[in-house]
Amino acid sequence: MSLQALLVVAAALFGVGVYGALSQQTFVMIMMGLELMISGAILAAVAMWARAAGGNPKGQLLAVVAMTVMAIEAALGFALVVAIYRVRKADMTEKLKRLRG
Amino acid sequence: MTVHAVSPAAAVAEVGTALVAGVYVIAVLDGAVSARVAGRSRPGTALLVMPARRAARLLLQARTTTERPDAAAWAVATVALGALAAGGLMVVPLSARGAVAEVADGIVLFGAAMALVMVAVFLHGWSPNSVFPMIGGYRFAAQALSYEMPLALVLIAVALPAQSLSVTAIVESQHGLWNVVRQPLGLPLYLIAATGVAFWGPLAIPDSADLGGGTAAESSSSELLAWRVARAAVLVTVSAMGAAAFLGGWWGPLLPGPVWVALKTTALLAIIVVAGHTLARVRLESFVVVAWVAFIPLALVDVFVSGILALR
Amino acid sequence: MTGSWLVEVFFWAFAATAVISAYLVFRVDSMVRAAFWLLASFLAVGAILVLLEARFLGLVLLLMMAGEMTIMAVFMVMFMMNPAGLNPMTMVHQHRTAVVAGVASFLALASVGLFVRFPDRPVPAEGTAQATADLGGELLGDSMLIFETAGVSLLAAMVGAIALASRNGRFGDAYVSSRPPDLDDVTAASPADGPAAEADEAAMDGGGMDHAGMDHG
Repeated sequence: MSLQALLVVAAALFGVGVYGALSQQTFVMIMMGLELMISGAILAAVAMWARAAGGNPKGQLLAVVAMTVMAIEAALGFALVVAIYRVRKADMTEKLKRLRG
Repeated sequence: MTVHAVSPAAAVAEVGTALVAGVYVIAVLDGAVSARVAGRSRPGTALLVMPARRAARLLLQARTTTERPDAAAWAVATVALGALAAGGLMVVPLSARGAVAEVADGIVLFGAAMALVMVAVFLHGWSPNSVFPMIGGYRFAAQALSYEMPLALVLIAVALPAQSLSVTAIVESQHGLWNVVRQPLGLPLYLIAATGVAFWGPLAIPDSADLGGGTAAESSSSELLAWRVARAAVLVTVSAMGAAAFLGGWWGPLLPGPVWVALKTTALLAIIVVAGHTLARVRLESFVVVAWVAFIPLALVDVFVSGILALR
Repeated sequence: MTGSWLVEVFFWAFAATAVISAYLVFRVDSMVRAAFWLLASFLAVGAILVLLEARFLGLVLLLMMAGEMTIMAVFMVMFMMNPAGLNPMTMVHQHRTAVVAGVASFLALASVGLFVRFPDRPVPAEGTAQATADLGGELLGDSMLIFETAGVSLLAAMVGAIALASRNGRFGDAYVSSRPPDLDDVTAASPADGPAAEADEAAMDGGGMDHAGMDHG
């Protein structure tokens, strides 16, 4: 469980998240990609805390802030998905072609 | 992670025995209370044998299934519910020796296990590919989100006098005074949330009769028996945690520690089982409104009061 | 630590679970299974965090993700056209670009992880309880401003999400003042062109009639 192995795993999670966020058409799947990216970031932060920072609590604080960001992004993302659907009847990015009020 | 010096086999034996005994006690209590409420009187031996007869009758039922269910998720849901009950019971000390798993953040592990119960019940409602189970699963998602905040806050309030998140430390901090006296708001809120976690009695919303059995509507035979046993196991776990967190665990005058734990757990079980037969099932809309509007502020008051008392 | 090879085995098992189930999220047809594969990925990451002696963070991640993924499953059923995966279909766009971007970001970050020389200051082996206590002291001590800001941000997010998603309108409760969305397929072309085309025609008619009126007069 060396630092290198942990960082490679975190990079893999981030890479899969980038693939998902770019390739999916529906809003909910794009959000899943974003969640995976933040999860990779959390794993990398805690790996650094455990192996390179000697238990400095600010490393854990970074992970807590990242989890807060994850929660806020999920909540507001879902609310926006619902709002967009109500106004524009669009649940896929392809349907939002016109910049119209 | 320091595990209490118990071999894995002994750990499985201890948690397994506690769960099996607890499930049996629930079944007997349930039969006794329902007979009493219905006005019938049953002899004691019939009550003690009744759980075995009901289990045998369930096992002899024909096994039915639905069209194109998600069979893997269905199996995972039932097994996960039982596993989460065992996982939650792992951190509760059943005697003065300590819990099977001496986890320094025992309360958080218990909270995580009870949060994952929501996933298990939702999957159990989703996988039969049928309408009423799915509605039951959805209703449980709303119910679970409503009771989770009061449950977490009340357990945090219990951790404050002990200055530790470990359940053993919480029990040890009740040496002179039980938490039910120090924090009077705690136990009622915890019992309501515990009834919600185990979806029993007045909060038996996902498996309710108005949904034809809800998430268990399409279950039969061994799967139904396993689901009901898992649900009773969750009730045992939350009652054991309530006994440890509020009623002082193994502390008590004459009898040995494990006997006190069993008595207190059975007392909480009896309260919930009796409530199941005397109180009507609440409407989900009412429960959600009351939980968010009333229970969360009450739980916050509980945390503030216990915090002030701990800072004194 | 006794049995550290066991810890290594568990770590690689959890790491493989995390990455494979993350990939499966975008591969399965059944949408609810996608949400729960994401939960499996998060459970594996939480387990790795517990193995790393950050047990509090791992357990909190598990707790958070249980609720979040159930809600995501509910949203999948609401918004995806194929929630149970009964008709296999792939809905991806710019697939090759996405693969290239994913692989490139993985290679970039992995090379940073492998080739940079990080300091070697491991957390003490039995330091989990101390880690939780340190986190508590940090949150309420040096970093209280960050903690309070995070709390207020969460509150603002809750209020904003409810305001965006709630159906209550200016004229009262939802069931009084809003009408449900109609279920026929509204394409992008017709509502935009319809009123505009009619308006254009009305303007042209008015212009023709006016000219005719003025010519008469």
